[in-house]
Amino acid sequence: MKKALLLALLMSLVGSGLAAEYTFYVVSHGGPGDPFWGVVMKGMQDAADLLSKGTGDTIKATYLGPAVYSVTELVNMLNSAIAARPQGVVCTITDPAALDEPLRRAISLGIPVIAINVPDPRPAGERIPYLFYVGGDEYLSGIKAAERMLAVKKPARAVVFIHEVGHVGLELRAKGFIEVMSAAGVPAEKLAIGIDPTQAVDIIRGYFAKYPDTDAIFTLGPLGTLPTVTFLKEQGLAGKVMLGCFDLDEVTLKAIKDGVALFTVTQQQYLQGYLPIVWLYLYNKYGFLPANDILTGPGFVDSSNVEKVEQLIKQGYW
Amino acid sequence: MAERKVAGRVKSPPRFLHEIAIWLRQHPEFGAFAGLLIVFAGFSLTATRFLTGDSLASILTVAAELGIVSAGITFLMISGEFDLSVGSVLGVAAMIFALTAKARWPLFLGWILALLASAGIGFLNGLITVRAGIPSFITTLGTMMFWRGILLAVTGGFPVSYFPTITPTMFLILNGRFAGQFRASSLWFLGIILLLNIILVRTRYGNAVYATGGNRDAARVLGVATDKVKIINFVISAVLAGLAGCIQFARFLSVDPMRGLGLELEAIAAAVIGGTLLTGGAGNLVGTLFGVLLVGMVRSGLVQAGAPAYWYQAFVGIIVVVAVVVNTNLRRWALK
Repeated sequence: MKKALLLALLMSLVGSGLAAEYTFYVVSHGGPGDPFWGVVMKGMQDAADLLSKGTGDTIKATYLGPAVYSVTELVNMLNSAIAARPQGVVCTITDPAALDEPLRRAISLGIPVIAINVPDPRPAGERIPYLFYVGGDEYLSGIKAAERMLAVKKPARAVVFIHEVGHVGLELRAKGFIEVMSAAGVPAEKLAIGIDPTQAVDIIRGYFAKYPDTDAIFTLGPLGTLPTVTFLKEQGLAGKVMLGCFDLDEVTLKAIKDGVALFTVTQQQYLQGYLPIVWLYLYNKYGFLPANDILTGPGFVDSSNVEKVEQLIKQGYW
Repeated sequence: MAERKVAGRVKSPPRFLHEIAIWLRQHPEFGAFAGLLIVFAGFSLTATRFLTGDSLASILTVAAELGIVSAGITFLMISGEFDLSVGSVLGVAAMIFALTAKARWPLFLGWILALLASAGIGFLNGLITVRAGIPSFITTLGTMMFWRGILLAVTGGFPVSYFPTITPTMFLILNGRFAGQFRASSLWFLGIILLLNIILVRTRYGNAVYATGGNRDAARVLGVATDKVKIINFVISAVLAGLAGCIQFARFLSVDPMRGLGLELEAIAAAVIGGTLLTGGAGNLVGTLFGVLLVGMVRSGLVQAGAPAYWYQAFVGIIVVVAVVVNTNLRRWALK
């Protein structure tokens, strides 16, 4: 009898567990109208829907992001998310100083916090004690890009075109790339090309006039890729010079399909919306945590998967 | 006559110096020309393969796009006003051209629409400045931010591209290649400089432009409709910026929302190097021609000379200041 009662109690507990409701917030510096963040949003929603369907629990995920970039607005949105006392908050650490107080407050209230897209750059003791980070690694992206090129052919000379000098992310990508190339005995340096495509082509032409043996280029985003692709095509160098790019846009995808570019690096941001929701659920329900930060990038798009990725972009996955 | 009297009082300098002074007074672009020659000679000696057809064509291409914008700015500056919004207008026009092309509109129609939109923005700049009586520096600072914001909001920060299977004639007319690496943009640039120069030097409107910038009250007394002149010049400045945006799109087939950012300052710098006064009333397009060639040459010249490209901006900064110091002193000396 006692056993049966206990069993019934257990059953009801499990039953109530099945009907549990979880509320998660994703707070980001990017507005929902921004195509990049639209993909993150889709990842978040897909994870919540799939988990709700598969577990019987109700997982509610809400995306908050200022339409126009504003740290103040980001903090306001984060505060309103915390006020709702959710079972988890996912946040981009765009401005560690401004986000430090609200996130620490959330953590002290027992709300699990996961960082996405931009980690807190400070050393372990000083950084906001979030559970872990889900996102890309700029420095590693440069390293992997260089390794990919070296696997094809050891270039005579490699150059990184930086379109926004002083941008920490871009400089880290360049640093990783140049270090690996230099270690392999390839002369490598960065060249500031600016954001005006006409002037950039002129600078690139000047560089090739000075160093005609250059046969490997790494661009750090569509603003650098456009003049580079134009230059290589106009000078008949397409396919003769190895080109690695960063991020996905129409010009970059076409360059890969046309054989002008070898690959492009992406941070697969769908996963930055998807994985934190899954982990927040697993953490709340079973206490699971990954051993390390989860890197969603560098991911690569090249001739082997470009057609597939192009289709998936239209469906909002990349 | 008056000058001769003044010159006579200053212990009569040699006659040839006096003639040089008169010539310099009529040619404020001399400083820019001299600077151009010096920098050109410097790069020819230090940079490998600087004196090649490809290299010169490339410099001319950079100078052409900057120059089309700078020509409009020069015109406006002579009439005493500024336009900081040209970079944003260039971006807006290029984006309209790209979006309409992508939507399969006839390219000519999209081009006209882009130029009309630019004209509208210029008209608005002028109207606000003249009617509200506020400095154009402020008006166009505001519109610069506004239109850049619109660009970012409409595109969500992403580039817009259009890939035709064969290059359309419209694109070839705007910015096709000829004689090796030369581009149609250079022809547009030279044509515009020529046309604007004729208007400035040979027409009544040109006189009105100088009068509006030189002494507004005197111009009004003489019956020059200064407000109208200014508004027209704002429109010219914006339309030329828009044209430069379309020309650029015709080559690159892709526009990002940051297109044209920072261009306004380079265009103003080129005009100033060419002898146009910030205060209005003086300047000419030949000077601007030399100014944009100088600015256009510095960047690739430095790269080819092996200097780190991070130095470019510092170098242009020095050129601007040196050019204006030299121009100002020459003018003072010539006016003595």
